[in-house]
Amino acid sequence: MPIKSPFEGCVAKPGQGNVVLTLLPPSNPTLTTLTYKYPLKLLARTPGYVPQSSALSCPTSRPVHLYLLTYGGGLLPGDHIAVTITLEPQTRLVVTTPQGSTKIYKTEPNASIKGHRGPSPAHALSDKSRQNVDVRIGREAALCYLPDPSVPYKDSRYEQTQIFTIDGTIQKDTHRSSLCVLDWVTQGRASRGENWDFHLWRGKNEIWSADETGAKKLLLLRDSLILDSELDEGCLENADETLHRTNLIRERTRPHGVVGTLILYGPIFEHLASFIMDRYTSLPRIGARNWSSSAPAVEETTSHYDAKVTFTASRVRAGFVLLKFGAPDFETAKNWLSDMFREEGTVTNEFGEEALFCL
Amino acid sequence: MTNKNSAQVLEHEIHDLESRLRDAKSRLALTSTTPKDGAKPSPIPHDPISTPLDPTHALLLLSDTALPLGSFAYSSGLESYLAHNKPLPPGITPTTSFHRFLNLSIASMASTSIPYVLAAHRDPSSLESLDNDLDASTPCIVAQRASIAQGRALIGVWERAFRTTYAADPLSAGPSASSSAVAAAAAASVERFSDALKSGFDRADQLGPKGHFAPLWGVVCVAMGVDVRQTAYVFMLNHAKAVLSAAVRASVMGPYQAQRVLASKELQDMIAGRIEREWETAVEDAGQVVPPLDLWVGRHELLYSRIFNS
Repeated sequence: MPIKSPFEGCVAKPGQGNVVLTLLPPSNPTLTTLTYKYPLKLLARTPGYVPQSSALSCPTSRPVHLYLLTYGGGLLPGDHIAVTITLEPQTRLVVTTPQGSTKIYKTEPNASIKGHRGPSPAHALSDKSRQNVDVRIGREAALCYLPDPSVPYKDSRYEQTQIFTIDGTIQKDTHRSSLCVLDWVTQGRASRGENWDFHLWRGKNEIWSADETGAKKLLLLRDSLILDSELDEGCLENADETLHRTNLIRERTRPHGVVGTLILYGPIFEHLASFIMDRYTSLPRIGARNWSSSAPAVEETTSHYDAKVTFTASRVRAGFVLLKFGAPDFETAKNWLSDMFREEGTVTNEFGEEALFCL
Repeated sequence: MTNKNSAQVLEHEIHDLESRLRDAKSRLALTSTTPKDGAKPSPIPHDPISTPLDPTHALLLLSDTALPLGSFAYSSGLESYLAHNKPLPPGITPTTSFHRFLNLSIASMASTSIPYVLAAHRDPSSLESLDNDLDASTPCIVAQRASIAQGRALIGVWERAFRTTYAADPLSAGPSASSSAVAAAAAASVERFSDALKSGFDRADQLGPKGHFAPLWGVVCVAMGVDVRQTAYVFMLNHAKAVLSAAVRASVMGPYQAQRVLASKELQDMIAGRIEREWETAVEDAGQVVPPLDLWVGRHELLYSRIFNS
């Protein structure tokens, strides 16, 4: 009889990970739980960075860095990653993906039953890769989640759900949780000519408010993007390559090569949120004309990247600021975001330069 | 195949309605021609309360562009789309560019709103939570404003106009007793929601009921005895009408051309196909399928001159 692994009880299924970050007295952020199982790997590090000044009045704790890794730097068909993270009150967590973009590899409907023709439709659909992230953010805690974009390869199928739960019982504004979440997806390997050639990419970001017991939940924000080539199961079973192309996703994302969303909430990111709102509202009017002269249009006054990136920022309900953007390629979007974060400075101030690792 | 199914269902329904109309007409003829000892034939056969209201009538009212919802004020991003795609690349005519927008707009409207219309129709009592979830899922304030303005207008029309007929006598709204009970419950749900809406303005976190269009549309249609497939179809058709009407006023095409698009088989198939696709979609899985549309709608605020509100 094989010896039972002592770690088996910690994580039930492959791909699952669990992280709990607690602030031990006097002010010592500690990961009281850090478990993971293949193909997921989690690494944590506490750099020496201490925020010198903060938007919060409470004593600020050192940010802890968590690296989300997968073997091979991406997800294969059928891989299912599920990460649960808990931020206890007053802690700060930075989550990045040091392996670069999350690559979503190709799904082959017949891959797992080679030689066996005509798999059931249910099988064809189960070949998705999935990633679930579930984060609970306590009082005065802050999450800074600025990962690399997701790069879905040709013919891949992928689904991700990211749920962030904040403490809904807090009355005082400055005691709220804070979060900054970036979620972006590219057209695929542009260098290999891929242009939105995947089958499915479905991303959902939800923010819920709940009390400490997890009851009395209320949906505060749901940002859901479905890029579906709308192939039916019959097409997937068919090995004929020509049937796999509908160009539907390309048509629906044109003219962009990368689209993304940035969600900001809470006192720490309030300045960044106002900065982005100002940046958006001060964009030049579209189609503005200079009536005083014969000049056909107002001269371009926007910064270099603002002219290339199409974005919209909105103060939606419950104090959230939602930034949506589309850019012709990954580099443009990355430089634009990077410039914006560095110019404003909140993220580097509160979390250190390394929080912008992916940008 | 699915389109064919829904077409069959509709055909069956039309057939059913027509036969009922014939039946009612023959009964009317019978009662009005029966002489009653020299007395004048009674002009109206029997008291209107005992006759169930015809759902077709409600359907025609709800699909009328004169329904005062103010839908004409919204172009659903068309105006902004035109401004963002100016000048057009060579070889693209304004009409092809518009058709692309119409396709995208219908796909997007179906994927974001139809699950809410259907869910509200299937369970009118969940109106308040659907309203909250749709509010949470609408990413830009321009789209939010448009949806809320039309939703509140629909409540207004219900309260000031439709309610007197459809809620006064709860037994009249459906052909059978069970459907009447459902209609009455839906009417009560609208009333409850309307009360909550009127008393919810002082909430500090602004998370009270908002009055989004899609779920309210579903519930009002239940209260008026319109079945679920027609509810979704008219919702989508009204959206297409609003976009086309905006196109006419934005000088993209003329009124006859717009009617031709509205009447076309392609549009009918597209609407039916999109509804079929979202038929089983849970509201949790509703989402945007056209990401640039969020950008266009959101950036409507940045237009130097605008003739529409969205």
